[in-house]
Amino acid sequence: MNTLKKIISRLRVQAYLDFMWMTRDSKLCLINIVSDIILNLAGVAAVFLLATRFEGIGIWSRDQIVFMLGYAALVRGIMDMGFSYNVLHISRRIGRGQMDHVLIQPQPVWMAFLTEGFMPFSGIWAFLTGVGITAWAILQLNLTLTFYWGLLFALHLFTSCIIVLAFSFLWGSLAFWAPLAAEEISSRAVNFMYQLKSFPLDGLGPYVLLSMLTVLPVGFVAWYPARQLLGLETTGIWHTTAVAMILSLVAFVAFKKGMKHYEQTGSQRYLGWGHRN
Amino acid sequence: MNKQGHNGISDGDIAISLRDVSKTFYQRQRSEKTRDVLKNMFRPNIKEIHALKNVNMEINRGEIVAYAGANGAGKSTTVKLLSSVLAPTSGTVRCLGLDPMKDRMPYVKRIGVVFGQRTELWWDQPVATSFEWKRVIWDIPEDRYEAMLDFVKDLLGLGEFFNSLARQLSLGQKMRADLGLMLMHEPEILFLDEPTIGVDVLAKRNILKFIKELNREKGVTVMLTSHDMDELEQLAGRIVMIDHGHIAFDGDFRRLRSGFGDHRYLMLETPQESAPELTGATWSHSEGNRHTFTFDAAQTPIAMLLDRAAQQTQVVDVETHRAPIDDVIADIYEGWENERAD
Repeated sequence: MNTLKKIISRLRVQAYLDFMWMTRDSKLCLINIVSDIILNLAGVAAVFLLATRFEGIGIWSRDQIVFMLGYAALVRGIMDMGFSYNVLHISRRIGRGQMDHVLIQPQPVWMAFLTEGFMPFSGIWAFLTGVGITAWAILQLNLTLTFYWGLLFALHLFTSCIIVLAFSFLWGSLAFWAPLAAEEISSRAVNFMYQLKSFPLDGLGPYVLLSMLTVLPVGFVAWYPARQLLGLETTGIWHTTAVAMILSLVAFVAFKKGMKHYEQTGSQRYLGWGHRN
Repeated sequence: MNKQGHNGISDGDIAISLRDVSKTFYQRQRSEKTRDVLKNMFRPNIKEIHALKNVNMEINRGEIVAYAGANGAGKSTTVKLLSSVLAPTSGTVRCLGLDPMKDRMPYVKRIGVVFGQRTELWWDQPVATSFEWKRVIWDIPEDRYEAMLDFVKDLLGLGEFFNSLARQLSLGQKMRADLGLMLMHEPEILFLDEPTIGVDVLAKRNILKFIKELNREKGVTVMLTSHDMDELEQLAGRIVMIDHGHIAFDGDFRRLRSGFGDHRYLMLETPQESAPELTGATWSHSEGNRHTFTFDAAQTPIAMLLDRAAQQTQVVDVETHRAPIDDVIADIYEGWENERAD
């Protein structure tokens, strides 16, 4: 209970910081909102245009593709909103020798990362774009929204986010051993997922598809969950959850090992500019 | 009665205790020859760097201790060991009766750390916002927070830039804000790793004054590293000098000066432009008829030098002053280097 209270109070102060940052200047505030919406729309535009031109892709109708794109935009929106300040791009903090800042705070490292990147005001625009696209697709598809379906949707969304985060932390842990070379590895890992998340993977060969659902689990960011939610896949309802659990366990072990290494070696490298940027 | 911490170390008067603490880092060595590429990749030579070697040190509560040493001597490693960032390779570190690594969270709540070239401030936020953040993360009760805020704002003069963005502050303002932020949870020990690096003389003077006042008023234990020896001498009663991983000197500044010779400068003004020959002093330089000598006051009393000068020429004017502590320390470092070379 005490832990929950602490998490809430930390989220509240981060929200306050974000609100103060967002409202520092009316022009910058507007530019931030518009650019976030444009960027998120641009991220799904190519696949949307293809689906419109060919009235769908493979077994997917145009509206089903839009649903998947909306889901993918939601995942990105949640990551933007919840894990900014280089929490998602964790290798930057590790590689720049900035873990020291976290270690001198009287809170568990996990709590710092769970709360420090919360930006509900400046980060929400990508999320809202995702809400808009998804809602439009649901209307077009005439989906019957039951409580169970809603629960399934929330579970898949949550586990997809966990997969992105765990994937970033797993690769990002390399920065404990190679701070300079791996400083940007989390960004690369996340960008890899973001770039491929909008594509339906149905046409891929079995081995490539298997790799996209195991070692490079980009299929679980949007494609596989959307198939489940749209009824294109009738089995394997827990696959996304299972992959999220396994991947987060592996990432946890790797990060913990990295932290042990950091405690022994520290960092010989420190980049001084605002360490959360 | 003193409480007993881990391993029976007193939690009463001793704030910091290091027992046989060693810290070793491992560095890959690479040959520049292409024929060694495979060896460099798969079986590299590993060099052991002994940053600290069996260091023993105790610091009492309420002390201000200067921790000095040349670059790479092990100063920052020690501060990191004491602030829960690094674990020792061997030995025991106890601060306030706690193990900085095992008891990290309760421990860091009771200490404050400032690394000179780093900042805890939120870069794109007004200074005030970082203080609010600090209140929440450190769980500072509202009344204590308000009282401390008044105290640090007043003492450090934060009011003039409290609502400015952190990234727009000058180095001196940023350091003052960081110091204030660090104090908000009323730490019992402060670790200041080069806190005045890059700041101007006025800001430096204010920061030193502040640390002194804090120590006097609140009894805070301070461990301070710096390359500026004058600054350390102004502030600390005790200096611990580290050289290549071990404690080379631990005592007060007066003992440091006398232990390594009481170096002084003597300036004599004479009617002639040629300098007199003074046994027991070394001629340094002359500007017209003003001649400067260096000497060790512990070996040669000043009266003896003046007497010798008066036997050779008329002495028009005399000035004498101690060698700056920087020169003393530089001589000590040089001496250690020479000893190692021999």
